[in-house]
Amino acid sequence: MSTMSPATKPYEDMQLAFEAERRKTKTRNFIKGILFLLPSIILFSVFLFYPMMKTVYLSFFLTDASGATTVFVGLQNYIQLFTSSIFLKSFKSTFLFVLYIVPATIIISLFLAVLANEKLKGVGIFRTIFSSTMGISVAAASVFWLYLFNPTMGLLNEILGFLGMEGIGWLTDPAWALVAVSITTIWMNIGFTFLILLGGLQSIDQSLYESANIDGAGYFYKLRRITVPMLSPTLFFVLTVTIINAFQTFGQIDILTQGGPQNETNLIVYSIYREAFVNYQFGAASAQAVILFILILLMTALQFKFGEKKVHYQ
Amino acid sequence: MFKKNLMFLLALGLLFVLAACGSGEEGESTAEADESAESSSEESSGEAASGEAQTVTFWHSMGGAGQEALNGIVEDYNASQDAVQVNAEYQGSYDESLTKFNAVAGSDSAPTMIQTFEIGTMSMINSGQIKPIQDFIDADGYDMSSLEENIINYYKLDDTFYSMPFNSSTPVMYYNKDAFEAAGLDPEAPPETFEEVEEASRAITESNPEMKGFALQAYGWLWEQLLANQGALLLNNDNGRGDTATEIGWTEEEGKSIFNWVENMVNDGTFANYGTNGDNMMAGFLAEDVSMFVQSSASSRDVIDNAPFEVGIAYLPHPGEKEREGVVIGGASLWMIDGKPEAEQNAAWEFMKYLQTPQVQAEWHVGTGYFAINPEAYNEDVAVQAHEEMPQLQVTVDQLQETTSSYATQGALMDMLPEGRKVMETALEAVYNGGDVDEEYSNAVERYNQAIEQANQARGGE
Repeated sequence: MSTMSPATKPYEDMQLAFEAERRKTKTRNFIKGILFLLPSIILFSVFLFYPMMKTVYLSFFLTDASGATTVFVGLQNYIQLFTSSIFLKSFKSTFLFVLYIVPATIIISLFLAVLANEKLKGVGIFRTIFSSTMGISVAAASVFWLYLFNPTMGLLNEILGFLGMEGIGWLTDPAWALVAVSITTIWMNIGFTFLILLGGLQSIDQSLYESANIDGAGYFYKLRRITVPMLSPTLFFVLTVTIINAFQTFGQIDILTQGGPQNETNLIVYSIYREAFVNYQFGAASAQAVILFILILLMTALQFKFGEKKVHYQ
Repeated sequence: MFKKNLMFLLALGLLFVLAACGSGEEGESTAEADESAESSSEESSGEAASGEAQTVTFWHSMGGAGQEALNGIVEDYNASQDAVQVNAEYQGSYDESLTKFNAVAGSDSAPTMIQTFEIGTMSMINSGQIKPIQDFIDADGYDMSSLEENIINYYKLDDTFYSMPFNSSTPVMYYNKDAFEAAGLDPEAPPETFEEVEEASRAITESNPEMKGFALQAYGWLWEQLLANQGALLLNNDNGRGDTATEIGWTEEEGKSIFNWVENMVNDGTFANYGTNGDNMMAGFLAEDVSMFVQSSASSRDVIDNAPFEVGIAYLPHPGEKEREGVVIGGASLWMIDGKPEAEQNAAWEFMKYLQTPQVQAEWHVGTGYFAINPEAYNEDVAVQAHEEMPQLQVTVDQLQETTSSYATQGALMDMLPEGRKVMETALEAVYNGGDVDEEYSNAVERYNQAIEQANQARGGE
């Protein structure tokens, strides 16, 4: 075995040295990478990872009013949630809410964005108007809608009355409350979604349209074959963000309905708030928060698995 | 060489980033401090202005007319002497204020005194963050017996005052006298029982199809009052006053009487549903969409001033087959926060005593519709005059003074009451929207009992 040919030895030495050098560079790169990441790792740990671990921990306990743990109950909080008809209703309402909001927001915003993307005189004014809801805070928008929905002097019921229809108990009728909150939310979301989609439309290469024009393609053909595919990364982003936002809706619920009537609009985030800060059951609230986290994680993962395939990156 | 330089630069860059983060956090925390205690700046300016005035931070939950009246009282107090400077800060509703308090309790940002609603009494005592008012009463030799007896009954627990009563109200029934007349009803003899309310509602709706008869906000506090008015307990063990409550205290007959009453009116088409929104209900009353509603007497000044018709105020209705028992004191009291310097606490105590004086109470009563917790206030000129002008204000006082003292009207004590209210509100809303009374009732009772059980378990009591 010791009969190594003198010719290969230097080569192997070189190989070894090369390996060592490579490993060294690798470690160095790794450290360098970590150094770059360190600021966000530190910030994330303090403001995200630690609270998250704490939430999981709290979900196994009962607490007193200040949030200090009193009794360890294991999985009891979770079991109670899944057997509670109120929580299951929250669950259902949340999904319905997402279903009402996401498609409507995206379709309306896309429609407005395509309109506002036309090169017309004074289109800037319309762009400003369409994106203006972005500049309105959730609280202000909710109060504004609260007055529109007002049963006594609300504009919506006045219009219905004018048309000879009976007024609707927008925020008190269980059949309408979630719809009313959804309308408000869609209206509020349009500004942001519109702006992002318009940005996406404007970055589409004009030469694509030019060559399509030469080929004599019609408007809707261009919309279907050029605009939507080229816009797909933006659409995907908007979809993900709108879904997450819909799951986390809080402000408009608190101002418009406080979760009522009959818990019809008691979305999970609002239910967490009530549980923690009105009922002072921080354990049960944490358990709901953990469930919501898993839910959003799953939804986002699913979207990336199935949705992203349809996305066309340039 | 180049690489080493690069590493050095990198490290330097990192330092910058970290420094930026550090200062960012600092910025945040100062912003927070600004927000949570606007008083701190006011504090220093106040001190500079009047030499050695002791600042007292007072968190309250009075909005609207109440806030105006309260600010007036605080200003008068600050102007009347140099030793104490009171900073009244509005902290949102009682729930919100209590949440904020729990977040800052034990820190420097905590207020000196805080106003909390009556059902928060037990959780304040259990929180361990407060100093019983009894300590100050004993040290000062202050006499609490001048206060309204029913108020003392509510706030005195085991012969100890934990908090200082301040703003108390009871529920009353507001009605539209003009509408009553138009419907051929006697505006001076408002309905007293559930059955009479149903009848009057039918008469109103018949004479004016645009107007509904009666509205009841889905509000847990009103549920508690309607129970007490028929002599029913909210919690067992003498409303949680004898021993910690373990389940509900009312019987099925007592609880269902309210549900059935509402259901009858819903079926008659005479009931106006405003859900849980009290403001909308009041707006509906003022716009003559509904002829009667039940709400806290604290709104009486608002309603009387804003109504374009003559407003009548009547006692809270009760089921016909039961005697009227009376009402529970609602409203809030003032709590001294533990862990503050003694001088600051003593200053707050001085202010609390000032709030009990007849003049201040008279002003407060007239300005809002809350009671004067000190009955002598009714002899003050302001009050006498106001009662002449607005005899309705007198009704709210009479109702309280006619209340029979019993466990039912002393009110319940438990830390889960806010949760219980929400349970009853949900059930009431369901009935308003045509839900089945038996089913909603038994669900509500089950959830109420569950909430009690869980609260007891969380305290480690079992």
